[in-house]
Amino acid sequence: MSNNGGGPSELAKQEARLARLLLLPSIIILLVVAVYPLGDTFFASFTNRQFAGGETTDQTFVGLSNYRQLLGMTIKELKPVRVTLENEIVYERAIDVLPREPHLYRQVTQFTLFGRRFVLGAREPDFILAVKDTMIYTVASVILETILGLGIAMVVNSKFRGRGLMRAAMLVPWAIPTVVSARLWGWMLRPTRVGLFNTLFSAIGIGGGNISFLTNKSLQLPVLIAVDVWKTTPFMALMLLAGLQMISQDLYEAADVDGAGKVRQFLSITLPLLRPSLAVALVFRTLDALRAFDVFNVLLSRQRLSMASFTYEQLIQFQTAGLSSASGVLIFLLIFAFAVLYVQLLGVET
Amino acid sequence: MLAHKKLWSILSLMIILSLALVACGGPGTPTAEEPAAGEETGGEEPAGEEDQVVITVAAGAVGKELEIAKAEAERYMEEHPNVKVELLETPDYVQDRLGVLLQYFEAESPDLDVAQVDVIWPGDLAQHLVDLNEYGAEEYTDKHFEAIVENNTVDGRLVAMPWFIDAGMLYYRTDLLEKYGYSGPPRTWEELTEMAETIQAGEREEGNQDFWGFVWQGDEYEGLTCDALEWQFSNSGHNFVSMDREVMVTDPDTIEIFELAASWVGSISPPGVTGMGEEGAREVWQAGNAAFHRNWPYVYSLSQGEDSEVAGKFDVSPLPAGRNGRSAATLGGWQLAVSKYSDNPEIAADVAFFLTGEEEQKIRAIEMGNNPTIKSLYEDEEVLEASPFMGKLYDVFVNAVPRPSTQTAPKYNEVSTAYFTAIHSILTGEKDALTAMEECEVEMENIISTLE
Repeated sequence: MSNNGGGPSELAKQEARLARLLLLPSIIILLVVAVYPLGDTFFASFTNRQFAGGETTDQTFVGLSNYRQLLGMTIKELKPVRVTLENEIVYERAIDVLPREPHLYRQVTQFTLFGRRFVLGAREPDFILAVKDTMIYTVASVILETILGLGIAMVVNSKFRGRGLMRAAMLVPWAIPTVVSARLWGWMLRPTRVGLFNTLFSAIGIGGGNISFLTNKSLQLPVLIAVDVWKTTPFMALMLLAGLQMISQDLYEAADVDGAGKVRQFLSITLPLLRPSLAVALVFRTLDALRAFDVFNVLLSRQRLSMASFTYEQLIQFQTAGLSSASGVLIFLLIFAFAVLYVQLLGVET
Repeated sequence: MLAHKKLWSILSLMIILSLALVACGGPGTPTAEEPAAGEETGGEEPAGEEDQVVITVAAGAVGKELEIAKAEAERYMEEHPNVKVELLETPDYVQDRLGVLLQYFEAESPDLDVAQVDVIWPGDLAQHLVDLNEYGAEEYTDKHFEAIVENNTVDGRLVAMPWFIDAGMLYYRTDLLEKYGYSGPPRTWEELTEMAETIQAGEREEGNQDFWGFVWQGDEYEGLTCDALEWQFSNSGHNFVSMDREVMVTDPDTIEIFELAASWVGSISPPGVTGMGEEGAREVWQAGNAAFHRNWPYVYSLSQGEDSEVAGKFDVSPLPAGRNGRSAATLGGWQLAVSKYSDNPEIAADVAFFLTGEEEQKIRAIEMGNNPTIKSLYEDEEVLEASPFMGKLYDVFVNAVPRPSTQTAPKYNEVSTAYFTAIHSILTGEKDALTAMEECEVEMENIISTLE
């Protein structure tokens, strides 16, 4: 479009100026709504600001001390103290070994390595556990959702009567707000026979009608994962369905002619061509799962925290806006790292 | 044709956008404003105009509370036609209510005028509340229990009017006690355990597989602090943090009673009791599936209601005593405070005085079983007729045990969290009592050491 070998034409420059002007409102809104709060949180993470502190507390700059508190961990060895009559070794107690000055370290977990026992201590054990629980939850639910979603998408992709209705109906779990469906599940998971699951299980002979799903440490995460899989598989199915529909039927017909079996077709045609959609769907789901708040907050409140509900608790319960901002920033960095990882691994074109 | 299509789609987009904007600007939603800006939102108009002044009251909605609050608002509006009283519903769990209030205070929002505050909050929230003495509170304060007025006075400022006093009580099934040959409610925790075991075994044999001996609040929240403080105080005679900020949670009496409580889970109390709050436990009790129930007074009138299986079959008594202490009931109760950021603090204070006045407290006492904070009402005939237990338990209320929120302000929440988290781990069997409380002691001492 240029003339005389010079730079962009006058018209092009004018259009560029107009474009910038038209984009200005969106950019301003973006700055105010997204960038300012983000920046404010980032700034607050370096201070000891109090939430609703009013005039009585001044915020002072404390550098990285909030981050040190959240990430402060230590490993100490627990030496054996004596042997009991049943030949069990009794070790030192964690609270005698973990440091207390200048900062208190509390136990996260104990483990054995090479026959020696160690304790992992942290300044903020709730945060460490929240990160661990959120990770487990994310990995499990994303894997399950992808597999199930792919299955459902392939089923709904084939031609059968009522296909349109089926596609609409399968979206219902995802359409209900998470808080509402978490409440529904809360009712069904009640620990006495008021709850649906206990009634069903006791009818078939398990549990006697008293399984307390939400207070049993080993059942808590599986339950949350089940709730999330129920809710979000439709979303995955939808995204994968869109990808499946882009694959031309001719390829399958050609493969049939060549004598390839269904499984071979799936592995050689479907999966490779589905990769872009799969990548996008995975990125969405993983980032969403890492930010999980509603399911944890509604079903487990304080019993088991996710990274997001930990941040909320710090802010509202303890009013430590500085610490909770730091926690928010760490979550952001973690999610960012995952996003970058996905882009590299799955080759999503940017 | 194409132009028409485009027009329609632009038109529908604009309609959706404008609807969305209108929805965002609705009343009653906490708008988190940047601290620098101080713009007003919501539907307030400055006082003095002929238009209506809107006073927003954040009230509790547990059980029957919401209906009562609406009726109270109506009565005020009848007497003061130029004021519109709007109710803002707050969540069930106490901590969540605090969250809602803090959001309004952080934003310095004029959308909230009067707030219902828990007995443990005046210390923390004082800086956001007006001094009610400046609006004529002296006229009313000597009618109320002195202890609560004192609790609500921070640095000489009265930041909240006492509204109702709460204390933990033991609800028990009179018909079942008679059936199994017991002459009266249990006096000690051992007695309660034994009676609950017997009644539960008997009822289960008769076919009620859902019956439990004793239900209470065992979830990991402030309610557990209340239940646990009652156990601890009744057995050891002291609080978990003394008035001089000394942490006392590892003495043998305290450990003993926590171990007893842990033994109830799964035997006389359902395994799910460690996930039950006030309402969860009440569900089991009101369906007729519990012999004993620890809860606040609000359950009384609900249990007498039409849809209750236990109507007419129960009574209340003070909680059992332990070894070295006396029967202890945790002091609860709610107060009404006026936000400093309200546009009409004078009118808001007037609303607060009205709601906490003698007439309104009497109505609440009769219709909801809320215990008034006005002393003279405990001798009022109509009140005693509706809730005879109030007369019986007057001494309990006057001697109720307060949680150590004053000594540990402004970090009471952290101290309480350490306490209830430790006790919850004992109840679920995750840790043994001594280890859990020793770790709790270290944690609480650490928190207290950061107080001035």
